[in-house]
Amino acid sequence: MALIASPTPTQSLGVFRRPVAATGWRSWVFTVDHKKIGIMYGVVAMFFFLVGGCEALLIRLQLAAPDNTVLSAGLYNEMFTMHATTMVFLFVMPMAAAFANYFLPLQVGARDVAFPRLNALSFWLFLFGGVFLNTSWFLGGAADGGWFMYSPNSSRLFSPSHGIDFWVLGLQIIGIASLVSSINLIVTVLNMRAPGMKLMNMPVFTWMVLVVQFLLLFALPVITVALFLLSFQRNFGAAFFDVDKGADPLLWQHLFWIFGHPEVYIIILPSFGIISEVLPTFARKPLFGYKFVVFSGAAIGFVGWGVWAHHMFASGLGPVSVAVFSVATMLIAIPTGVKICNWTLTLWGGKLWFSTAMMFAIGVIVLFTIGGLSGVTHAVAPADTQQTDTYHIVGHFHYVIVGGAVMGLFAGFYYWWPKVFGKLLNERLGKWNFWLMFFGVNLTFAPMHILGMQGQPRRMVVWPEKLTGEGFFNLQFWNQIATVGSFLIASGVFMFLVNVVVTAKKAEKAPLDPWDARTLEWMTASPPKEHNFDTIPTVHSLDEFFHRKYEEVDTDKGPRLVKVRSAEEVLAAEEAKADAHIHLPSPSYWPIVLAFGLPVIAYGVIYNLLLSVVGAAILLLGIFGWVLEPSVAEDSDYDPPTGESETKELSSVG
Amino acid sequence: MADIAVHESVTSHDDHGPAAHGSITGISNNKLAMWLFLGSECLLFGGLISTYMLYRGRHGSGVGPAQLFDIPLTSVSSFVLLMSSLTMVLAVNAAKRKDDRNTNLWLAVTGLLGALFVGAQVYEFTAFYHEGVGFTTSLFSSSFFTLTGFHGVHVSIGVIMLLAMVAIISRNKVAGDKAEAVEMIGLYWHFVDVVWVVIFTLVYLIPA
Amino acid sequence: MFVKPSRRRRVAAAAALGLLLAGCAKNAPQDTFDPAGSNARSIDDLQRPVFYVAGVVGIIVFAVVGYAIWKFKDRGQDIPEQSHGNPKLEIALTILPAIILAAICVPTVSQVFSLDKKDNNCVINVTGQQWWWEYDYAKGSECGGVVIPESIVTSAELVIPANTDVLLRITSRDVIHSFWIPRLNGKRDAVPGRLHTLRLQADQPGLYTGQCTEFCGLSHARMRQAAIALNTADFQTWVTNQTEAYTAPEAGTAAAVGQSTFIAQCSRCHQVNGLQDGDGKPVLAEPDLYVLSGAAPNLTNLLTRTAFAGWTFDLLTDECRDTLWNAPPDEFGALYLKGVTAECFNEANLREWIRNAPAMKPMYTDPKNLGSTGGKTRGMPALGLTEAQIDEIIAYLLERK
Repeated sequence: MALIASPTPTQSLGVFRRPVAATGWRSWVFTVDHKKIGIMYGVVAMFFFLVGGCEALLIRLQLAAPDNTVLSAGLYNEMFTMHATTMVFLFVMPMAAAFANYFLPLQVGARDVAFPRLNALSFWLFLFGGVFLNTSWFLGGAADGGWFMYSPNSSRLFSPSHGIDFWVLGLQIIGIASLVSSINLIVTVLNMRAPGMKLMNMPVFTWMVLVVQFLLLFALPVITVALFLLSFQRNFGAAFFDVDKGADPLLWQHLFWIFGHPEVYIIILPSFGIISEVLPTFARKPLFGYKFVVFSGAAIGFVGWGVWAHHMFASGLGPVSVAVFSVATMLIAIPTGVKICNWTLTLWGGKLWFSTAMMFAIGVIVLFTIGGLSGVTHAVAPADTQQTDTYHIVGHFHYVIVGGAVMGLFAGFYYWWPKVFGKLLNERLGKWNFWLMFFGVNLTFAPMHILGMQGQPRRMVVWPEKLTGEGFFNLQFWNQIATVGSFLIASGVFMFLVNVVVTAKKAEKAPLDPWDARTLEWMTASPPKEHNFDTIPTVHSLDEFFHRKYEEVDTDKGPRLVKVRSAEEVLAAEEAKADAHIHLPSPSYWPIVLAFGLPVIAYGVIYNLLLSVVGAAILLLGIFGWVLEPSVAEDSDYDPPTGESETKELSSVG
Repeated sequence: MADIAVHESVTSHDDHGPAAHGSITGISNNKLAMWLFLGSECLLFGGLISTYMLYRGRHGSGVGPAQLFDIPLTSVSSFVLLMSSLTMVLAVNAAKRKDDRNTNLWLAVTGLLGALFVGAQVYEFTAFYHEGVGFTTSLFSSSFFTLTGFHGVHVSIGVIMLLAMVAIISRNKVAGDKAEAVEMIGLYWHFVDVVWVVIFTLVYLIPA
Repeated sequence: MFVKPSRRRRVAAAAALGLLLAGCAKNAPQDTFDPAGSNARSIDDLQRPVFYVAGVVGIIVFAVVGYAIWKFKDRGQDIPEQSHGNPKLEIALTILPAIILAAICVPTVSQVFSLDKKDNNCVINVTGQQWWWEYDYAKGSECGGVVIPESIVTSAELVIPANTDVLLRITSRDVIHSFWIPRLNGKRDAVPGRLHTLRLQADQPGLYTGQCTEFCGLSHARMRQAAIALNTADFQTWVTNQTEAYTAPEAGTAAAVGQSTFIAQCSRCHQVNGLQDGDGKPVLAEPDLYVLSGAAPNLTNLLTRTAFAGWTFDLLTDECRDTLWNAPPDEFGALYLKGVTAECFNEANLREWIRNAPAMKPMYTDPKNLGSTGGKTRGMPALGLTEAQIDEIIAYLLERK
């Protein structure tokens, strides 16, 4: 393309200098670097994981004995509502976003995401939304309607505190964050791949994240509508869920689950992607049936839209709907089964290295299989009318979410830690971490299947002694086992935190390619330089990095795969052709300013609309500053832009 | 991480722009993002329209859509909005020709037509309110005001973008500098128009 | 699966022992694998094979993964061939689960429709509200051959004739609840503004416990219910008893004083059919003025039930309760129809409830928290009665059977 000099306003707003700090807190707060943003996503998500974990432990303590009094009924309801909300929206999704932010550009061979400032905006919106949501604890109590927030129980009449207002507005803010980030990542993947990186050469993690972003793109507006309806009802007196005026409470359920079911795949697919990276690396062979795994991921994403009403088999939909959704739900088990078969066959015939990351990945295969199979038992609609809203369901989806998604994220921590921080996590502590979590998950969630089938419903602050039964299936016994298990999981997580601290303190650097890895993100320094690659690599095949290291060599025993170049040599070859000029977007004040406006508006909606006006003013200031700021500044240490339209962003036009 | 100095990255070649590796899809990042955003918006309006369709007959003994709507007035304002799509096309054309003067002219006309539409909607809302149909009156009224209100807000944002664009182009030092931005506003504007065609048909024309 | 084979065998032995013990011991009364009626049984017949199939598939997957872990661990072998899979195997592994699922699919769909049939001969209206169920038998309707002479409005225990197809018409007065008696059928949501049906049938007389299973707010955990199945003769007796004319307490007794205390303190919400005030005017409850859902339990025959306040607190002592729960089917009816006798009466629960109900079961009754309900409570408030008044009310209620 032609390089034409384009004029750049000298200073944003003519008042502020661009932030230029390369170190210290300013280098983080105003950063637009996808890697720093990824790390910040990870840290904040981990914080919320601990918050949600404490909520879970309190719930388990309350349920450890009949008619227990650790928590009051009101507090218990807030606790399980916020446990689910926190884990789903403030831990699993943003942690997946952390991985996606950090590794997507690296895996496709790009220097950043398509819209770096929007990326920063997403992060700050998520952080402020999460904090806003949790301030409800100190402002009259958190939401108490369950994470599914069924109407009309969520109306002001039935939940007079501000908890649900915080929940609705907080999720709205977090939703905007996810929507912006989904657009950003889709554009990055579709448009910014390195030369030769065809769609079917992309690493599976990138593929799964891409599917997830499309799910987010289309699922979020639906929950946005539902949340608007609810907040208009609670705050401005609209009639949407007012049964006296003829409202149908099932409207909320449909809107919620049309979002809520794709949400399940939004949660699980990134981890599927992670373990699809980890398993081949440590089995030293490519993912078995790459195309099948990719297509089944896409199929799950697609069919996932047609099964939402299986959350409503007891809602009274009528037999025709129930039958249709029951069959559709069974259908989705097929691509899921394909994935499990492929992972298992990836191990088959390999040369398995049981690192901690690998153990977590194998743990996911095992635990997710259990969760998937118990899922099939409730696809059978009549059986589901027995199982739904009991602990059987709680056991099922925790196997999927903790056993599948969370264990997968931990596999990712151990696998990519040396890439991100340049140091290897301690493997010994890692094994402790794994086994504690693995046994913890089974001890906590397997008994829940029994509890549910013995008739213990969910969301009950107490269960009575007279309904516990005797013998092997005694409810009290299994409730106590589950509580013990939850503390095992907690101690596993504690091991991880200890590991992080121990690793941070040690001086020893990780080798460049500690796992003999296969994909592009390893074909650069650890941690990567700010511009990721000295030269954008040209891709020839799936597992590009592996094929640069290994070649088939004829020996006297026939052709053998032999390591012909070390990672260092591969990297040196790349560095030799380093681009002379690399330019990166400049840091910016505006993402954080703009993001800050939204919680202020939200507090205003709850307390005083004048405050909303202030928030809106901050928002407008943010947009104004953003639009007038070129994405690369003249007065910064960065070179001014020279391309014609390259530096424009979505936001630069409004 | 902190040891990575920002200064290292010095340069000429922009890798964030569409031309970085020769945009693979052939659509620039900005436009692709706008298309994706509009795809998402389809489901937003889909949800709102479904809610309205479910609730449009539920107004108890109060005023319903049949008695309320003033079809001639809304037809005129719909026509105005449709015409604005035409002027938007002219603006985009002018921008592609790097004709800043005509670009601004047509952008301003488009904005004006949009503002007229919003004005008509405000008038309509006020009239309904005086007939006793407020936001909280019935399920029908809540969902009607929410659906058309959301659309009105979209048009208003569009008008603000158009006028801001006029201001920005007036400061253009290089003719046609903002052509892509104009094109993106055009995409947004056409989308909002198409949504109105759907809303007008479903809400106003097809009887409950 | 990471365990050594010898240890695995021990685990299996322990599990088998557990199952053996389970065979002798009594499972929880809401065991979904222990159906007691045709509807629940048809579900059980469907879910058991699915569990078995799932179990077998699970074991195969774990065995293959376990074997692969053991067989292919790094023993210094060569880097394996970089093969990208085997499409034929892939397709086979896609079709296989599809076949299994198709096999599950067919009976599922047929069951969905058969569980929705409405070929019943007894219809009972069930209404949920925070946090109890109301059961309403329409006047003149027929139930298992027994004609209901007067409308019966009751709560806590749903009394049905055994061996009869009963159809519940379920709705709600406030938020969504869900009616569930696990041993008789799956659950069905009670949604305000909608009417759903649920089939119920019990093979034998007995008590079948249940629980509201859709989260319905503060005291969701304390919204329970039971179905009482009686044989036709016993059911006839129960209906006769429920529709009997009101008998006022004998003048001069504590119960008689209790009647006026009840009229003064309780009757604005709680209906007792046939109750008249001093002037001989019928006393009509107006719960819609005081309670958000607009309803409060009808207490006409309170002491024919074995628990109250959303079937949460026993009216029977623990011992009598266990005797009733464990009664064999042929003795159950007679025992149940005795109601709460003097020696079985669990006075402490009822006394505490009348003294300070919200302390026993969290409810929205604090005037500060009533918010936008216009002063209406959700649940029974603490009435601030003296101990003497409580004595009188209990004496009065003891005769409501």
